[in-house]
Amino acid sequence: METLKNAFDFSDFPRSDLVVAGVLALALAAFPFLSPSSFAMATMIQFFMFSIYGMGWNTIGGYGGQVDLGKAQYVGIGAYTTAVMLIRWDIPFWVSMPVGMCLSVMWSFIIGYPLFRLKGHYFAIATIATSLVLKDLFEVWDFVGAARGLEISPIKYHPPDFLRLIFRDDIYYYYIIFAFFLAGIVYINWFRKSRLGFQLRSIKDNEEVARSLGINVHWAKIKTYAIATAFVSVAGSFHACYIKNIEPEDTMSLDISILIALMAMLGGAGSLWGPIIGAGILIPLKSYLKEWLGARAGLVGIDLIIYALIIMVISAKEPRGIWGIVERVRRRKRRR
Amino acid sequence: MDILISSIVAGLLIGMILALVSLGLTIIFGVMDIVNFAHGEFLMLGMYTTLFTAQATGIDPLLTLPLAALVGFALGVACYYGFIRFLLRGPMVAQLLGTFGLMLLLRNLALLLFGSEDRALHHGLLVGKSFELGMGVIIPATKLAAAGLSIVTFAAVWLLMNRTRIGKALTATSLNAQGARYMGIPTSRMNALAWGIGGGSVTLAGGLLVNFWSVNPFVGLLFTMIAFTIVALGGFGSVPGAFFAALVVGLITEIPGFWDFVTYTFDIGWMSDVPMTSFKYTWVYLAYFVIMVVRPRGLFGWKH
Repeated sequence: METLKNAFDFSDFPRSDLVVAGVLALALAAFPFLSPSSFAMATMIQFFMFSIYGMGWNTIGGYGGQVDLGKAQYVGIGAYTTAVMLIRWDIPFWVSMPVGMCLSVMWSFIIGYPLFRLKGHYFAIATIATSLVLKDLFEVWDFVGAARGLEISPIKYHPPDFLRLIFRDDIYYYYIIFAFFLAGIVYINWFRKSRLGFQLRSIKDNEEVARSLGINVHWAKIKTYAIATAFVSVAGSFHACYIKNIEPEDTMSLDISILIALMAMLGGAGSLWGPIIGAGILIPLKSYLKEWLGARAGLVGIDLIIYALIIMVISAKEPRGIWGIVERVRRRKRRR
Repeated sequence: MDILISSIVAGLLIGMILALVSLGLTIIFGVMDIVNFAHGEFLMLGMYTTLFTAQATGIDPLLTLPLAALVGFALGVACYYGFIRFLLRGPMVAQLLGTFGLMLLLRNLALLLFGSEDRALHHGLLVGKSFELGMGVIIPATKLAAAGLSIVTFAAVWLLMNRTRIGKALTATSLNAQGARYMGIPTSRMNALAWGIGGGSVTLAGGLLVNFWSVNPFVGLLFTMIAFTIVALGGFGSVPGAFFAALVVGLITEIPGFWDFVTYTFDIGWMSDVPMTSFKYTWVYLAYFVIMVVRPRGLFGWKH
């Protein structure tokens, strides 16, 4: 009961934040009724998915300060579990999603135990290495379709199918992922005030001090890594049902891992709203740049060049992200 | 037996070239504690430089190497002054993502300018020639020349680092940047020099590699990861470590060859069913993971 109350208690934020958040939430809830184009709808669903990835990353990477560049492997595990179970045994999403989550968490414990003996750059590169190993494995594993990947054919089912999450209309997907998104916010709101959340922040500030205060640093990191993993895996399972066609290259590539970390950093790592702001800027930017410029003849790659320049400018000029700017402005106002 | 020996020889040859590939990464890491994701992209640009110069002028690709090195040096210094300098103030996550942005930029610029198709060199003095060592071991002349030149360059950089005044200043900066600054060493200029040497050596390696490896804009990431593994095994920041680690990693990339050797020698049925060649580089990534967990300092590292 206390936990529930804590999770829904946003009162430590300034009122202006809450008003803005509430208005935005209402706008998001009403969005499908504004008759958006199907492209806009798909972009919004991507935005929700990447917000959830980013919120997951933010627990370990933002609050904990452990830069993890291997989150795509858990997108892959979640997506593949759901797809394989649906195609081979006709098991619905609501069963396969928790199973995928358990598998991801188990895998995260297996690799997390040795991984967290490393720090800083070494940790970051090691997470990339594990992610690439898993991707290579999936590319030759016939059971999961090897490099061709898996395809869920919607013809076999009768949309709208709420158990298997097969719909013809994007609006169903929109509200389901929106619900996951809100649940994610509530969970992170609890997490940042939980014992583990405080432990993590002290680990980020100074690991030696945290250890001397009696925090089991290694175990706290592993636990948080598992939480982050669970988030990513859930959205990965949804990804399988939504995209319906998954292959190792677009679920587990390094670019996805980097994009997840980048969003959280752009928005402001270590804050509740950071990854959401980051996803809200980067995802529409990326997909519209691709739409406008990516397909032009003679200009292949120009969208990614602009995207790369944005990454470079942010990391050089404003490494604490947009939320960092907001807080700086606020502090200046308070001082006056 | 033929397979075993030719795998070992091939592994050692590619290892010598990989040594030069990873040299720049280990110097840059040692001097300023920054991981350069764009390293493989520098290699790719070196490959393109040699390829286009050789094709346009018709001279032998090996003669264009100084140009490749010069391009890499200029690019490295330009990257430092134009971009990396600003990253050094930020937190680690910004540094990682910043160099990743640089990687994306270079890769997609190459895609925009040169197109996505594979390009390879088809002419030159050495292309197509090979030596036979007996016992079925055949060494292509291009690989042998590349390995030899790679060792020469590696030795030259090692001498520069250890026997000259400027090299000692560079080493001092990597051991203790603040201390070096107090001793009157211009550390910012040393950082730029590290990027110059790093860029120059890796584009030179690219120029050697393009003699027998086709190039496209996406070739970089593989070499970045291989270089990370080598640098991790040799110890981050250690120059001689990188050389020996590169030989080991070269042998690791030949694991499919060893696998074939065991399969045929002992005639083990199930082993021939494993699609080993598709795991060629998986072993490299796995090696990185194992090395970091078992011995984070690497073989010769002083930093952790």
